[in-house]
Amino acid sequence: MRELCGEAVEAARAAGASYADARAVLRRQQTVATKNGRVDALSDVESEGIGVRVLVDGAWGFACDRRLTADGAHDAAARAAAFARASGGGGTRELAPVEPRRATYETSVEIDPFSVPIAEKIDFCLRAEEGLRRAEVKVAEAFVRALREQKVLVTSDGAELEQELVECGGGIDATAVGDGLAQIRSYPSAHGGSSAQAGWEYVLSLGLEREAPRVAEQAAALLQAPECAPGVMDVVIDAEQMQLQVHESVGHPTELDRVLGSEAAYAGTSFLKPVDVGSLRYGSPLMNITADPTTPRGLGTFGFDDEGIPAEPQPIVREGVLVGWIGSREAGFPGSMRADGWSRMPLVRMTNLHLDPGEGTLEELIEGVDDGLYLETNKSWSIDDKRLNFQFGTQVAWEIRDGKLGKLVRDATYTGITPQFWGSLDAVAGLDAWRLQGLTNCGKGQPGQSAHVSHGAAPARFRGVQVGVHA
Amino acid sequence: MNAALEIAEAALAHVGDEAEAHVQSERSGLARFAGSRQHQPTLIEDAVVTLRVVRDGRVGVAVSNRTGDAGLRELAARATDAAENTPADPDFPGLPEPAALPIVAGPDSGTLALGPGEQAELAADAIAATGHYPAYGFFTSGSTEIAVASTTGVRAEQTTTDATVLVLASGDGFSGYATQTSARIADLDVRACGVEAAAKAARTRDAATVEPGVYRAVLEPYALAELLQYFAWDSFGAVGLLEERSYLAGRIGEPICDARISIADDALDADGLPRAFDFEGAPKERVALVEDGIARGVVWDRRSATRAGGDSRGTGHAPPVVLQSYGPLPFALSMRGGDAGSLDELAEAVGDGIYVTRLHYLGVVHPREGVVTGTTRDGTFRIRDGRVAEPLANLRFTVSVPRLLKDVPALTRDVKLVNGSDFYGDRFAFGVLAPAIATAYFNVTGVGSSPGI
Repeated sequence: MRELCGEAVEAARAAGASYADARAVLRRQQTVATKNGRVDALSDVESEGIGVRVLVDGAWGFACDRRLTADGAHDAAARAAAFARASGGGGTRELAPVEPRRATYETSVEIDPFSVPIAEKIDFCLRAEEGLRRAEVKVAEAFVRALREQKVLVTSDGAELEQELVECGGGIDATAVGDGLAQIRSYPSAHGGSSAQAGWEYVLSLGLEREAPRVAEQAAALLQAPECAPGVMDVVIDAEQMQLQVHESVGHPTELDRVLGSEAAYAGTSFLKPVDVGSLRYGSPLMNITADPTTPRGLGTFGFDDEGIPAEPQPIVREGVLVGWIGSREAGFPGSMRADGWSRMPLVRMTNLHLDPGEGTLEELIEGVDDGLYLETNKSWSIDDKRLNFQFGTQVAWEIRDGKLGKLVRDATYTGITPQFWGSLDAVAGLDAWRLQGLTNCGKGQPGQSAHVSHGAAPARFRGVQVGVHA
Repeated sequence: MNAALEIAEAALAHVGDEAEAHVQSERSGLARFAGSRQHQPTLIEDAVVTLRVVRDGRVGVAVSNRTGDAGLRELAARATDAAENTPADPDFPGLPEPAALPIVAGPDSGTLALGPGEQAELAADAIAATGHYPAYGFFTSGSTEIAVASTTGVRAEQTTTDATVLVLASGDGFSGYATQTSARIADLDVRACGVEAAAKAARTRDAATVEPGVYRAVLEPYALAELLQYFAWDSFGAVGLLEERSYLAGRIGEPICDARISIADDALDADGLPRAFDFEGAPKERVALVEDGIARGVVWDRRSATRAGGDSRGTGHAPPVVLQSYGPLPFALSMRGGDAGSLDELAEAVGDGIYVTRLHYLGVVHPREGVVTGTTRDGTFRIRDGRVAEPLANLRFTVSVPRLLKDVPALTRDVKLVNGSDFYGDRFAFGVLAPAIATAYFNVTGVGSSPGI
């Protein structure tokens, strides 16, 4: 593949490109899902091809070809150059300088997930799902996934990089139904469980079987719980929902392509401006956010991004002040470009974005609340195009009275404006409560691209938050 | 026979068991622009084979884009291995038998002929039409060859075309939006799209705010189409109904909307993006979802129909096999129009309220109650005295969709095809045929960002 990418880059240069990169990608993804004791989905998807990105007369072009052959490489390069020429319109595009590397990188894996037989994966899901069964649970589901992506990047700057990334993940969902209500509980995370860059050992470590009875019991209990009432109160948010809060209200607004308008027509822009770095108060002094593509097991972990930039942690928010960006060579802040497979152009994407841990325990956070809510596990999410006004829902909540957890509450939602909300942060639990989880459904770009990213967070406490938004 | 069907038949030749091959090949270009410059032009060519192998009721599935002999042989081996190691699926009704397929319009030759040069030129035309307003958006066109072949004798093939232009005219403190989509390039006026976006943007400076609360409102087709599609994914599919997660659970046959509201899923409508068959080659059918305000039904595939306990007859809505856990879903929604001749008439019907052009980032809050949240975007205005008045900031809303459709003073006669695809994964163009609507209920629950970049 390295030779093929080299040929593509040469062909692009011959076609007039001042800069070119070629990525050959082989991807295999396997999914097993069971529902109510039956196999509900089973897929084994392979895809391969080469994508060539060029700069011709200051205009970008991208084309791809599924043939990993010399013809495929040459055709993709020629079509990319032709599209760039047609798209032109004058102007220049400068790329930040980069020291070209020749290197390899691979995920550390103990058990190759593709060596685990399908029958074993099905049995694993069925056993996990069995613990979800109870009368109120109408739908019991378990699922596992594995992905291997081998990719080679060659650039006209001289970079030659080979990487092999392996992901594994899984989860369980219980949907309880009764009295006109449907309530879902998930573990270890909603919307597809949690994934990591790791082998099958990660799936085995999740403890799906162990957690299933608790998950089912809570789903059933939600049918009897009162609806979350409107009000303004203190909230303690669990690590998983905090991961989504970080993703939506810090990760996306600090992507420089959004700040500069590239995503305006689809994903949106940002309330941040380039001049804000170093001065804008994002949140309280307890807020520290780090982008780290070196995090072990992170889905946003790599040796090099898709522009050939070596992975390096970047501070994004320090003591509540914006100090960094997630960016690209063109945006002048390299290190976070990734493409969804071989058939898409690299975009600025979050790597692993973490809320750094603070001090204390979840219990201590709760003890500091007289009248409030403890919110756990995401259920719904929405945020405006500049990432200011958000409204999130959680699968479950408990009242907090005088520092202690009280009764269960269903259909909890909370809403806020990003900097004001983060400004109300008054505690983050410590490293012992910090959790890393990976999601595979981060959408962006036209045509659309899905990115896989991880976030680490500990439970956190916010003062004076609007909860209980009703239709 | 199209090339996709040839690949499907070649794939079947490598299998010794009952089997079905679905092939989709794509050739597309998307000229994306920002700040009036084309910045992410993307050309895609791919062909994907999904092979389903059946052995004694056990079903194995594998997918590949390697369509040569070696690739198909390995694909067959992976699918067969999966079938051998999977328990029998009690809900699997067997592979479908051949059935007569409806006739739908063929691919549009004009769209087929568009290459990168034309795609970039059409994007440039859209940009130019916004004048001094910076333009963001894209022009895309593509063709897909789809084929299904099975050992039970199914042979289905179709070539589709689609084209979409989307323009956001936006800058500091102003923002307007327009989009057009069709199976035929001749239906698109990319310049008019740019002009519409710029004209809207020109009216959005100095946006005011409103207090949260329930307002009467006008929703343009862009806004209504997106709201309907989100509601439909949770409420108009058979699996949600069977599992009692859907708004329609226990409500079939009951009035759920204003009597003016009729919604169907109709992939055969020539004004939409026509498709003749589903992902297992079963013929597409028009399905009445809501008729005159009464909930009538949902879309089915053969697997969900089997699970429901009746015969295994679906409505031509089998999803891709790798996505079968989602169940059948409607991807050709169509809402009947009303009597209003213009958007101005809708504003008159509202009297005092909110005018909404487009929505952003919808999320389903309570599927069982059809509650959706999101924000407005790129053209939100106050309606005063029956006329569109001052611009507003982007508003957060949280609404029960059936309640929004419960008291509908007016709908426009004309319906517009609104693109629903964000072009993730393999190209699958779909859209919603929607009128503009006046409603007595639009629940504003917060105020968000101001218009613009």
